[in-house]
Order: sequence, then C-alpha cells, then structure tokens
Amino acid sequence: MGDSDFSYVPWIVFTPLLGFLFQALLGKFLIDRLGARGRWFCGFAAVLVVAFPFLLGVAAAFKLAGMAPAMRGTMVTVAPWIDLVGFRAPLEFYVDPLSITMVLVVTGVGSLIHLYATGYMAEDADYPRFFTYMNLFIVAMLILVLAGNLPLLFVGWEGVGLCSYLLIGFWYKDHANAKAANKAFIFNRVGDLGFVLGLFLLFCVLARSAGSVPDGRFLSFDLIRVQLVNAIGANPGYATAIALLLFVGACGKSAQFPLYSWLPDAMAGPTPVSALIHAATMVTAGVFMLNRMYPVFQASPVAGGVIAAIGAFTALFAALIAFGQMDIKKVLAFSTVSQLGFMFVACGAGAYDAGMFHVVTHAFFKALLFLGAGAVIHAMAHNQDLRNYGGLRKYLPITFLTVMAGFLAIAGFPYLAGFASKEEILGSAIGNGAVVVRISGFVALFTAFLTAVYMARLAGLTFFGAERWRELPEPHAHEDQALPALMEDEPDPNRFYYTAAELAEREAHAAHADHHELGPEHKPHEAPLSMSIPLIALAIPSLLAGFILGGERLQNWLYPAGVKPGLLGWDAPPWLPWVSGAAALLGIAYGLRTYMKGLPADQGWDMGKWNPLRRLSADQFHYDAELMAGMSVGGRTVGLALSKGFDPLFVDGTVNATGYTAGALGLMLRKLQSGYVRFYALTMLIGVLAIVGYLLYASKGGASL
Amino acid sequence: MGLLSLITFAPIIGALIIALIPAEHVKAIKGLAMVTAIATLGFSLFIFGQFKPGDFHFQLLESIPWIPSLGIRYQVGVDGISLWMVVMTAVLGVVATGVSLYESKRVKAFMILLLLLETTMLGTFVAVDMILFYTFFEAALLPIALLIWIWGDENRKKAAVRVFIYLFAGSILMLVGMIVLAQRTQLATGHLSFSLIDVQAAVANGKLWAGALSLEVWVFWAFALAFLIKSPAFPFHTWLVDSYTQAPTGAVLLGVLVKTGTYGLIRFCITLFPEALPRAAPAIMGLAVVGILYGGAVAAVQLDIKKLIAFSSLAHVGFIVLGAFSLSYNGLVGAVLGGVNHGFATGALFLLVGLLYLRRRSRGVNEFGGLKAQMPVFAALFLISTLAAVGLPGTNAFVGEFLSLLGTFESGIAHTVGLSVGYAVLAAAGVILAAVYMLILFQKLFYGEPKLPAIRRLRDLRGWEVALALVPTALILWGGIYPATFTGPMQASVNATRMMGMNSANQRPAWGNSAQSLDERLNLYQGAEQVAPAGVHAQGPIAAYNAARPEDGP
Amino acid sequence: MNGVPMAAYLLLGLVLFTIGVVGVVIRRSPIVIFMCIELMLNAVNLTTLAFARYLPQFVAGRERGHTAVAGEMIVIFIMAVAAAEVAVGLGIIMAIFRLRDSTDIDQMNVLRG
Repeated sequence: MGDSDFSYVPWIVFTPLLGFLFQALLGKFLIDRLGARGRWFCGFAAVLVVAFPFLLGVAAAFKLAGMAPAMRGTMVTVAPWIDLVGFRAPLEFYVDPLSITMVLVVTGVGSLIHLYATGYMAEDADYPRFFTYMNLFIVAMLILVLAGNLPLLFVGWEGVGLCSYLLIGFWYKDHANAKAANKAFIFNRVGDLGFVLGLFLLFCVLARSAGSVPDGRFLSFDLIRVQLVNAIGANPGYATAIALLLFVGACGKSAQFPLYSWLPDAMAGPTPVSALIHAATMVTAGVFMLNRMYPVFQASPVAGGVIAAIGAFTALFAALIAFGQMDIKKVLAFSTVSQLGFMFVACGAGAYDAGMFHVVTHAFFKALLFLGAGAVIHAMAHNQDLRNYGGLRKYLPITFLTVMAGFLAIAGFPYLAGFASKEEILGSAIGNGAVVVRISGFVALFTAFLTAVYMARLAGLTFFGAERWRELPEPHAHEDQALPALMEDEPDPNRFYYTAAELAEREAHAAHADHHELGPEHKPHEAPLSMSIPLIALAIPSLLAGFILGGERLQNWLYPAGVKPGLLGWDAPPWLPWVSGAAALLGIAYGLRTYMKGLPADQGWDMGKWNPLRRLSADQFHYDAELMAGMSVGGRTVGLALSKGFDPLFVDGTVNATGYTAGALGLMLRKLQSGYVRFYALTMLIGVLAIVGYLLYASKGGASL
Repeated sequence: MGLLSLITFAPIIGALIIALIPAEHVKAIKGLAMVTAIATLGFSLFIFGQFKPGDFHFQLLESIPWIPSLGIRYQVGVDGISLWMVVMTAVLGVVATGVSLYESKRVKAFMILLLLLETTMLGTFVAVDMILFYTFFEAALLPIALLIWIWGDENRKKAAVRVFIYLFAGSILMLVGMIVLAQRTQLATGHLSFSLIDVQAAVANGKLWAGALSLEVWVFWAFALAFLIKSPAFPFHTWLVDSYTQAPTGAVLLGVLVKTGTYGLIRFCITLFPEALPRAAPAIMGLAVVGILYGGAVAAVQLDIKKLIAFSSLAHVGFIVLGAFSLSYNGLVGAVLGGVNHGFATGALFLLVGLLYLRRRSRGVNEFGGLKAQMPVFAALFLISTLAAVGLPGTNAFVGEFLSLLGTFESGIAHTVGLSVGYAVLAAAGVILAAVYMLILFQKLFYGEPKLPAIRRLRDLRGWEVALALVPTALILWGGIYPATFTGPMQASVNATRMMGMNSANQRPAWGNSAQSLDERLNLYQGAEQVAPAGVHAQGPIAAYNAARPEDGP
Repeated sequence: MNGVPMAAYLLLGLVLFTIGVVGVVIRRSPIVIFMCIELMLNAVNLTTLAFARYLPQFVAGRERGHTAVAGEMIVIFIMAVAAAEVAVGLGIIMAIFRLRDSTDIDQMNVLRG
C-alpha cells in the first residue's frame, strides 16, 4: 500500500488553490475585458475548482471503503515544510475515513454554496475578490482536514480564520464589518493560544518518551497514536493538560462559551459566507480536531467532563439568546453556536463519531437554512429583520418548502437528519457513566426542545402571518451625500494622484447602483435558478441523511470496531427516542401555534414592551457587551498608561536623565574655563607644584599610595 | 579579492564612483546607486554556489594581517548563521535604494551614505575578526545618524543625536570585552589574537575562562548589553522608536541595523561564555518576554504608523531573543530564522508605509481610511506584510516564532532554563497582541469610505513600486511555504553554536579545528552536554527530557 | 670640573624658572609672557645640561659618552621647539593685534566656557 494509491489526493487541495490564484490574478482583468461573460466565467471557474475535489473525494472514499478497516490510513507526503534535524513537519496529507468525510462535506456543501453565491453576489462590484477569498477558504479548510500533522493542521486552522476575517470584512466600506472581522480573528487567536500551547506540550511529552521517531515527525498523525499510548500512559496528568489546552483552541474556532461571541458578529459578512464558513465547515473544525486527536481526549475523563459541561452550557445559553434575536441571521448564528454545543457534548461523552455525525447533518441543514435565509434577504431588499417579514410563503414557494425541510431537520422531527444525529448525542451523554456528562445530556435534551421552539419562531415569523412590510413607511429617497470638493492640483511629478478629469470619470463610474429599500410597495421575488438549485440539493440530505448515515454506519466507517480501540460504548435509555421525538414535536407545535399568527405584541418594535427576560436574551445576557467593553477599555488603559506614562517617564526618563546629568556636570565645569590665560598658567603651576611635592614626599619614603 | 570582500565593498565602490559624478546629474547618481545595489545582491547570490550547508565552520574565509602587532586581522567568512543575513541585507539594500529614487534633497550625499550603510551592515555580518566586527558595527552609526540628521522628519536632529550616542555608548563596553577576550586568549595560547576563531578555540578547550568565572560573567554582560541595546530589548528601545519615526523613507536598512544586535547575541554571547550562559539566560529571556508584551500593548494604542511599527519590532525581536536564549535547538533555529524573517517583514512594512508617506506626508493612523477602495494592489501587499507581522501560518514569521516558542517551551520542560514554560505562555499571549495592533492598523488605514479628498485622489501603486514591494513580500510567502530554503543551510551552524554554549569543556566544537565535523543527528540527540546550574546533565532535546525526569522515562 | 658646583647651576636654573613663572602669571602683555616662557625653557635647558655634565659620575657601570649626548640632544630639541613655538605664537599675536588693535591677554577670552 504505497503513496501512489492516493497520489491524487494533494490535488484536492491544489485545485482550489489554482482557482484562488486564477481569481486573484486574472479575475478582475477578465471582468474588465469581457463584462458579463467574464463574470460568468469567473463564477464557473470558482464552482468548478470546488466541485472537482468533491469528485476526487468520492473516488478516495470508494477506495477507502474497499480496503480492510485496519488499512484505512495513508500518509501522502508532498514536500518538506518545517524540516529540522530533530523535528520535521512535512507537507503531508493523511487520508483516512475521517478526513475524507470532512473533504466530502466541505467540497460538497462548498460547491453548492459557491453555485449559490454566483447568483447571490451577481450584482457585486467585487465579484472576483469574493471568489478569491472563498476559494482560498476552501484551500485552507481542506488543508485543515487533510493535514497529516498538527502544525500543518494549524496552518489550515489559522488559514480558515484568515479567510473568515477577510470575508466578514468583505464589504469594507463599513467600519462595523471591519470591527466584526477583527473580533473574529482576535477571539480565534485567543483560542489558538491554547491550541499552540497544547501542541507544544504534546511535542515535549512525545519527544521525551519516544527515544527516536523516524525523521523527527513527532506530530504526524500516523505516529501520534502509537507514541501517545506510551507517552501518556505513565502520566495521565499530561493528557488532561494537553486535552484542555487543545479544547481551548476548539472553543475559539467552534464558538463555545467564553469565546462564542465572535460568531454572531460574523454575520456581517455576505450570507453565502455565513452558510459556508460560519455554519457548515469552519466552525466545526473544533469538533473535527477533537476527533483527530481523540486518543488524547480519551485518556482524560476530566477533560471529557469539562468539554461536555461547556458544550451543554453553550447549547442552552445560545438557545436562550436565540429567542431574543430579531435579525434572521443572528437567530441562525446562535442556533449554530447551540448546535456546536451539542457536538461537544457528544465528544465530551466519548462519542466522537456522534459529534461527527452531527457535524455532517448540521452542515446540510444549517447551510440550507442560511441559504434559505439568504434567499429571503435577497427577496426583501437586504432587510434582515424578522419583524418586517411575514407571509412570504406565497412569494417564495421553493425557498419556503426547502427552509421548512431544514427547519424540521434541525428541530429534530422524528427520523429526519437532525433527529438521528441528536439521538446519538443524547444517548451517549445520558447513558454515560460520569455524572457531569449525564447532566449535560439532560440539559442538551431540554435544549433540543428549545431549538424546536425558536426555529419555529423563525419559520413562523418569516413565512406565515400578515405581510408586515406593507405597514412600513415609504422609504426616503436616497440622497447622494455631496462629496467634498477636491483640492486643486499641485505639481505631481511622480504621478501619485489622479488628475481632475480622471477622478471625475472614476467617481462617475463608481456611482452606486439603485438603493432599493423595503417599503409598502415592495414585491418579493423568488431567487434565480443558481440559488434555488443548491437549496433543493441541500434539502434532500437534510431529510434523508439520518437514514443513510445513521444506525452506526458512520460509526463503523469512522471508528471501526477493533481498529480504533477504546471508543466508549453507551447504553442509551430505551425511552430516549420517544422523549426526544415528543419534545421536538411539542416544540414545533407550540412554536408554530404561537408565531404563525404573526408578530406577538410583546416582541414588536418597542423594546420597552418586551418581557424583561426576552430583553435580557436580546442583549446576550450582557455578556458580550461587558466583555468587549472590559477588554477594549482595559486594554486601552493599560496601553495608554504604558505609552504615555511609563515609557516617557521611566524608560525614556532614565535615558534623558543620563543625558541631562552629563549636561549639568558640564555646566558646572565650564566655570573653570574663565578665558584668562594667567588663570590657566596659575592652575598649571599649582598642579605642577602638587605633583612635584608629592614626588618629593614619596621619594622620602613617606607615602605608599 | 575574495567573494565576501567583493560583496562587502561593492556598495562602497559604487559610492566612490558616485562621489566622482557632479551632484547635478541626479538621474545618473540614482541609476548608479540602483545598479550598485542590484550588483551587490547578485554577488551575494553567488555565496549559495560555494557554500557547503553541512559544514559549521566559517566558509569562504579570507584572512589578511591588518595590525599584526596587536593580532588584528582583516578576516571575513560566512557560516550558516550569517549566510542569510548577508543575503537579506543585500535584498533590503535594493529595496532601500529603490524607494530612495524618490529622494530629491541632496541626492548625491544621500546615495553615498545609503551605500556606505549597506557596506557596514554587510561587513558586520561577515566579519570574523572581533575588531573588524567592531569597526563595522560602529561605522554603521555614522551613516544612520547622518541620514536621520539631514533627511529625517520634524524631530530629526534630536533623534540622530540620540541614536548615535545611545548606540555608541552601548557598544563601547563591548570593545573592552573584546580586549579582555584577546588578552585571555594570549594567556591561554600564547598568541595575541582578536580572531573569533582563535578566541573560540580557547573557549572550547576550557582554557580561556579557567578559574575566571566572575570575569566571564562581567565580559558576558558587556557583550550582552551592547547587543541588547542594538536589538533592542525592553528597556533600551527608545532609540529605535525615535529613529524609526524620524528616519527618511529610504532607511529601510534600519531593519537590518537591528538585526546586527540579535546576530551579535547569537554569534558572541552564546558561543563564548558557556559558564555564564545558563545563569544569565533566564534574565535575558525575561527581558525578551517583557519586550513582547510591552511592545504589543504600547503598539496597540499608537496613532503614528511608524511608531507602531517600532513597537511591533520590539515585540518581534523579543521572540528572537527568547528563542536564542532558550538554548534549545529548535529555539535557536527559530531565532536565526526569525532574524531573517523579521528583516523581510519589517522591510516590506517599512517600504509600504514609506510609499504611503511619500504620497500623503503623514504618519497618522487616523489620516487615512478607505485606502482599500482606492489602492487595491497596495492593500493586498500591505495585507501580506500585516499577516507576516501577525505571525500567520503561511508567512515566514510563523515558522520562526513557532520554533522560538516551541524551543522555549521545550527548554522549560527539560529544565534547561528555569521559568521557560511561563515565558513561553506569556510570549504566546503576545501573539494575540500582535493580531490586535496590526488588525487595528489595517482597519484604520484601509476600511471605510475614502472620505478625505486627498485620499480620493490617490492612484494605486505604480508598476515598478509594485515590483519593488513584491521582492520582500514574495520572500515572506516563500519563507512561510518552503522554509527549508532558509533552515537548510543554517542547521549545522546552529547546532554547533548551541553545543559551543552548552557542552562542557573539551566537548565543545571549535571553529578553529577545521577537521572537526558534526554528525548532526548524533550530536543533536547525544552530543550536547549541558552545563546546568542545578547539576542536571542533559544531552540534547530528547535526552534532556529523560535526564530531567528519569522516573518516567521509557 | 672647574670648581663650579652643580648646585650653582641648579640654583640659577631655579631662579630663572621662577622669574619666568611669575612673569607668565602676572604680566598682561603676550610679548612679555613669551619672553618669560623662553626664560623657563632656558632654565630647563641649563638644568638639563648641568645634569648631562655631572650626573654620569654618580651612575655606576653606565657608559659615559652615551648618556651625556642624550642630555645635549634634549636641549637641542627644546631649542628647536621653542623657536617654532615663538614663530607660531608671534604670528597668532600679530593676527590678533590686527583684528583688535590690542594685545591685552585678558581680552583674549573668546574661548571661555
């Protein structure tokens, strides 16, 4: 079984990389030259480079399936990367069921979302830039999932963070977007601190125990499993430390409790971005990493408890916040945070495959929901407030039907995808031996009920009831704010500036398209074909994934019995399917009954009339605001104190004091230089006399200085 | 004249020819300066053809008696540590000269000084004789001070004086240290010599410092202080802030000047003072960590772009110093690599900020905004440099900082240098600060509507400016994607350097023994015997773990 | 040699030197100061010559001729330096006089601290 079997696997990564380079270098040129045809070509190329790796992934999956379970793990080495004598981390890809599953999800859902984006972003001036970032994201995500060693995984890990940063701030003219982007990046950085330290500790532990590792590839996944047993067996405390540190990284990337609040803000990006990055793929990287590193986590029950508890708390917390949100994307964002919490509950319970199962099903239905929300937003002139919607099922039939499929799936309607994967999660947690994990399981069960209710709220407010935008006031005519007059040309030998004529042409060109705003006359229109095809394509697995992957099929694929030892078994209580199914149905029924009638009076535009609890939930229980205020004010205070206080006073002060001392000494000594020659002569005489006197004295033997 | 002398003096030769051209032929002067810089870069690439990567000795050695009665020679050579420094200097020399083509005030003098500066930097990196090193090290101050004095910004005179005095005062102690070293060499071997090779040979067999521990510590600090000021480490950074802020656009080479400090730390402080080293390392690492956090915190609130870059340099140099004094192999590689990387990264940032400054005559962070709409290519290049400053994987900075931190962490786990785990944690937190200040800068410059009229008039970069900026940016990306190009030649020298500082007497490799060769693997795992204060005798990274915690070894 | 004791030479040297010193310290005319300096130099010359003449008798085992010439050579050096110094010094004084129409030494204090 040589590398040659999977030698095409690197092309899974390189194809979107070529796409990225194409978009970055030629995209703008093509569109400038060819206009609409160039746009079409760019979009086509962007979709193609994501769809092609999907085919490669399918091929790899079939090949893996044909192999004996014990043999399903191949390292494909491409080139050296970090290449030191004692420590090597080559550019290598690990092909095993886990990575190929993620490849299929990323490229499958990814190519659908790219297709959707060709329609959604069709009007945008920065069309190629959008696909540049999107393709780069796919590259980074594929590096993350295919990486053969931890440092390389970290490259993908930070790479997706970068693309997320770039895409959140895609509409760069608004500083709010930039701030959201910064927040996402910095929160992820906090998580990465944990990840890196975990990695260091793991390296040291492995290096200490393993006398020699072939080629110094300490952190490669094919060797970690073997080495880890020896390394940690003697010292489980290290396992807990490494596991918790790595989990901090996962918390950052997968938006778990202390670090969750960047994800809702990330909704500032275009909707396809939210669907791809902030729902379906990147945020599940934490769960993927837990699966990848499962031997470490498995060795530490303490870490398992912590992970389950934080997951359950996050799930509940985010679900409660979702009740207070009025922005359709924010509701979905908090729902994502909540669902990620479910996945961590599973991982904490030791059911890594259940976590992955939910990753897969969640990717389908959450991408579907986001894309559906995008279609709604598209139809409603980019207005995202649920209070302005209502009765949209008449206007958007395809969107309505597909979103309902996604809604039922996430709400846990029996036998749909979400039900199947949540079932495994709840079963593994409630059937777990550890008390913390079991409590987490019950919390998650309750959260499942809440999920059904708030998703019903979203669906009800959007598609049923009165057409509330009809009651809106007439939009103001959009006034072009008068641009300030330009200063007159100064001499410009270096051609740094546009001439007045060029500038006028440029600004005329940039004069923006129509500013259509929502008003009583607005008539929603169904999305174009490029957007509805992905909706339909995602609705099918959202409904059926449970049947295809459930029943331990995914478990046997990812963690075949006897090959990956030690996966905890669990005894799900027999009542669980009934209870969770009933909870979901109850929640759906209650939610739809409440919200199909229209906007309840206590959730209107006047926040003062809101129930205080709901107001609290709308404000995220003040957690985010306080944290951000504390961090930015605190950071600024410290920085300014150092910059304006400590640095000039003490650091620079010492230097200046040295200078001033020398100066003051000079001022004192200059008085001696009176300018009178005779004074100098006298001084000289005195000096000579003193020296001669001393010599005489010494020559008499009187001194021994 | 050997290759290294050719590289070193090529800029000066160009400067001499420029001196003969009448000052009013500005175009000829600029063109000739550019040709000289490019030729120097071209010559420097020839080193790769002759350099043997597996050999830790000084190569391409040239040795001519200079002041024979004092044992001073003109002796130059490169090893794996200085190799990339030389090339980096030559690359940034081209960048600096290129951006200086915009200079319009006293062009002739400017170009001469710039080329002079390049020669002194190159000389510092290739000098093997200590006095020669000192000569170049100090000679660099003159062109720097003059460049700031004549062509700098509003506070240029104060800055120039401060830079000169500060750095001069710092390194004078080093000269005393060198004299002590030479005199001790004479005591140990009978020959007075300032050649680093001879001095180190006497250190390696333990004779040089025999019975003179307190003297060794004093001399160590004399060297360390000089280099820590030049690096600069935490409390010595104010000259850097002044000079970065006030320096003219063409002074991209300031980034290299800083590297002479970190280079000196690795070249002298680690190799020559094996007994003083383990005692001093925790203190120096502490300064480095303070520098990382302090630089980050202060950079985050700066409203002046160049000041921000200065404080970010303080933070990045912290990683280099930290890695070097972790005394672990990975850390040292990270430090050497970090020096090269940071040179390119600051070079790129400096260049781009300079190009912006030429257009707007302003360094205020809040004087911009909306540049992304206005100058997309510039924004893309700036983004790459920003990401390098942030230390994102895929840029060269990541590899260096990653290895530095890994080495520090290792060193802590293996008890080579106490406190190191704490240092590694704090330093890693400094990486978060890097994201904070760089992203805020990027946001303020590039996001938002271009509201100011002066911004709306800006064109994107011109073609040749893009080409110029692509040089360091391409190297940033190359170093992140294929760092083996950089780490390959340096490993043998780094390993030898580490063993010079860590092994006990007679087990240390010596530059002077040209027959000696290191089996890299063997020495990495078994050879390095550590001189640890706590009586811990560890052998290389792997063995170090076992020795430190024998009870749970394999 | 001819009965004049060495002490006499030294005494004369001392007197001349003292006159010179006092003159330098109390006079304000640069010409006189120069003359006093010359006086001091001559005092030193006299002393040196006296030692050159007498000292070898007290140094055992030293070849006489060798050291004697050393003393005389110093004197010739001093005379040469003194001549050069006077030439330069008078030149400076002339220049100052042309500039200021005065040679009062107390007014030449531009270089005071």
